[in-house]
Amino acid sequence: MGVTSMRRRGTLKTGLLPGGNVALEKIGLTEEDVRDEIMSEEQDLVKELVTMSTRECIQAIRDLPMCMEDKKNIRNQVLASKSSKKGFLLTCSADCSEQISLSLRRCGVGLSSARQAVRLWQGTMKEIGGRFGTSVLSYFSFLKWLLMFNTISFLVNFGFITIPQLVQTSGRSPDVRFTGLELITGAGYFNQTVMYYGGYINGTKDSDFKYNMQLAYFFTIAAYLVLCGVSLIYSMARSFRRNFVLSDLSSGSAWRLLCSWDFSMVNERAVRQRKNNLRVQLKESLSEMMQTNFLPVSERMKQLGIHLCTWVVSAGLAAGSCAAIYYLCQYNLQQIKVSQNPGNLKEEASTLLLPFVVSLFNLVIPLLYSLLSKVENYSNPRFQIYVIILRNVFLKMSILSILCFHWVNNVTTNVPMCWESYVGQDLYRLVIVNFFFSIFGSFFGEFLRRIIGTRCMPSIGIPEFDIATNVLDLIYAQTLTWIGIYFSPLLPLIQMIKLFLLFYLKKVSLNRNCQPPRRSGRAAQMQTIYIALLFFPSFVGALSLVAYTVWCLTPSDSCGPFQGLNTTFEAVSLWMEDTAIISEFSWAVWIYSHMIKSELFFFLLALIFLVLIYFFWQITQGRKMLIILLKEQIINEGKDKAFLLEKLRTFQNLSLVPYHAENVHGPQYFERTYQTESDYSEGYQRGACPEEDTPPFASSALMQAMMARRQAEEEDEEY
Amino acid sequence: MGTSASQLPKDLLSEYQSNPFKERICLVFSTSDNKDGSLTFEDFLDLLSAFSDSATSDIKSHYAFRIFDFDDDGTLDRKDLERLVNCLTGDTDETRLTSDEMKQLINNILEESDIDKDGTVNLSEFQHVISRSPDFVSSFKIVL
Repeated sequence: MGVTSMRRRGTLKTGLLPGGNVALEKIGLTEEDVRDEIMSEEQDLVKELVTMSTRECIQAIRDLPMCMEDKKNIRNQVLASKSSKKGFLLTCSADCSEQISLSLRRCGVGLSSARQAVRLWQGTMKEIGGRFGTSVLSYFSFLKWLLMFNTISFLVNFGFITIPQLVQTSGRSPDVRFTGLELITGAGYFNQTVMYYGGYINGTKDSDFKYNMQLAYFFTIAAYLVLCGVSLIYSMARSFRRNFVLSDLSSGSAWRLLCSWDFSMVNERAVRQRKNNLRVQLKESLSEMMQTNFLPVSERMKQLGIHLCTWVVSAGLAAGSCAAIYYLCQYNLQQIKVSQNPGNLKEEASTLLLPFVVSLFNLVIPLLYSLLSKVENYSNPRFQIYVIILRNVFLKMSILSILCFHWVNNVTTNVPMCWESYVGQDLYRLVIVNFFFSIFGSFFGEFLRRIIGTRCMPSIGIPEFDIATNVLDLIYAQTLTWIGIYFSPLLPLIQMIKLFLLFYLKKVSLNRNCQPPRRSGRAAQMQTIYIALLFFPSFVGALSLVAYTVWCLTPSDSCGPFQGLNTTFEAVSLWMEDTAIISEFSWAVWIYSHMIKSELFFFLLALIFLVLIYFFWQITQGRKMLIILLKEQIINEGKDKAFLLEKLRTFQNLSLVPYHAENVHGPQYFERTYQTESDYSEGYQRGACPEEDTPPFASSALMQAMMARRQAEEEDEEY
Repeated sequence: MGTSASQLPKDLLSEYQSNPFKERICLVFSTSDNKDGSLTFEDFLDLLSAFSDSATSDIKSHYAFRIFDFDDDGTLDRKDLERLVNCLTGDTDETRLTSDEMKQLINNILEESDIDKDGTVNLSEFQHVISRSPDFVSSFKIVL
């Protein structure tokens, strides 16, 4: 309550003085009165600030919308009044604690500014934001965010799983030569290193190195996935609250367009272009509103038919690509069965066919989708973007689910050696080939299109940076990495290197080949959608696959830390049985057996959450009604205010004439003349139109109230 | 750049020559008595602080309101809004909106944001509109 009133007071001075001169002249109020009023408001502000703690006080002063001199003034007054209040009770310890807290604050500020300076890619991202706007910048911030996820995953996996394994097996070395092809196929030399699941062994049995690799492997990956999930849910919820709930979803987008002017643009051509785009968008939105949407029934049926056709065609394309990939996977498995020489280079290179085909489908079919969407006619361009994104996500997720189905059903039974390492190698190849196709796509989509657009067919023009496609590409690659964490613990390292290189590649391509986007706005809402897509099909899908593998599938017998167990999760059960013997940890065993293993507990938990959701939904409905009622109340109070001000004005007009005659000795007295504005807004003169003759509404209300109060005081003095 | 007592006239901010609000920004942040838009060092710091990443949405919306208030009367009336739209879309004859379109646009704006229906947008109504546009805080930024 105090802070909002302080903000109002902060605006008082600016509200009174600059425009107030015009109002002052018309009402006949002295400048001195106004200054007295401002001083008394300042005193109240200082009194409020003195009651706060030092840190809150400093933050509150920083948040005041005043110029620096005024803020310094207020701060000095607050300090003076605080020290006078303390008086002579300053003891040594109080002084010391003040000094310590001051130096700690300064340290904190120094640390945060140092952290700002060493943030990765800070300068580059400012440049990109300045030239291309916030929506293109959101792609790069998304990339940086994903890089952080992968870095944490790599550090955690490397520290808890890989280093102990390397220490354990420091004597042995793989017996296959390193050829360069491994970097792309991931097989061969890498197959026997710590790159894949097969390279890890539970060494507690033979050596005296007591590190339980089973538990370490399981819990490291579980902890990382839980951490990822929690941070994704948190980001998604926060972003959703900020950008969807609090924002205006109605189609009246005039204000949004006006408030989305990007102040950080400095390039003159970009600014001119932005102005043009804004004008076009405003005209479009106006014509949309003015146009009546009464299409005849036959037109609407035709539109519906076209929509249905395009949906069927896109679903058909997705299904066709899934079937092709499935048959290719089966073919690969058969090749392994009939292969005579496992180390054959040609056979290893032929394993690259599957990732190549997958990435080719991921590149070509979205282009077909965008061609299809040109055939359709959407009234709302935002809806069109949503449909395109939905189709692309559907395609990518269906391809991934076919691959997962193949791995889980066919690979586990048909591969003679380590099936987890086989899956890990598949994922490695998919990630690497995806990277090459990103480079390829950037080359064709941006570089060649610019060449064609400028030299051969100028009607196409310079391409824009296609944010949706690139972000979906990033999400797809991250899904692959999350799936692959269980099968190949060092896959995040590959993803990290890939993201790092991709940042620079995209930056160079953007700077040389692309123009700023034509349609502005809605960057924040698209950001929420991308985070939601990263959570819902991507992370949840990866998590469910890993959970199914851990819970239900039998680990392979010949390799890996879980060999010999029925399921991976059995390692935890065995550990719990071992700990049950130790009586100090019986509480942990009790939690395990009665909460984690029992279904009743989860059922009750789900029931409680459903009830809570219902309650919160009812509260939301109630608040919506409250908003409607409050808006009506504001309208009514505005009408009351206008009515009272009219009465006050007529009252003062009646009493103004005798007042003039009495107070001729008043200093700095202004006549009631109408004056055109001269200095403030150059070149803009208000003509003497009849409706402009009344003083500005807000400040004159204050003036009149002050005048009425002074009149009342003087009348009291007289009596 | 001079001492802290020197004044920076508004023409010298060469980086922001193309910003359509350059004059309003200088006028709003200037504390000089002769209202010519010149900035002292402290005014310049105020400007950068208001446009920085760590300024709160309240401060940004407060200063944005003052920048958009072309006649400095404390409210955004029709003339202010008209000038704002012209600033953002271009001031030459071929780039201006027609008067019908302008009237329609300003009617839409006032319908959306004027809660107490007095024909003007005051600071609270403006801040309410801003709180519902999540893109505002990220676009009201100047980075050096």
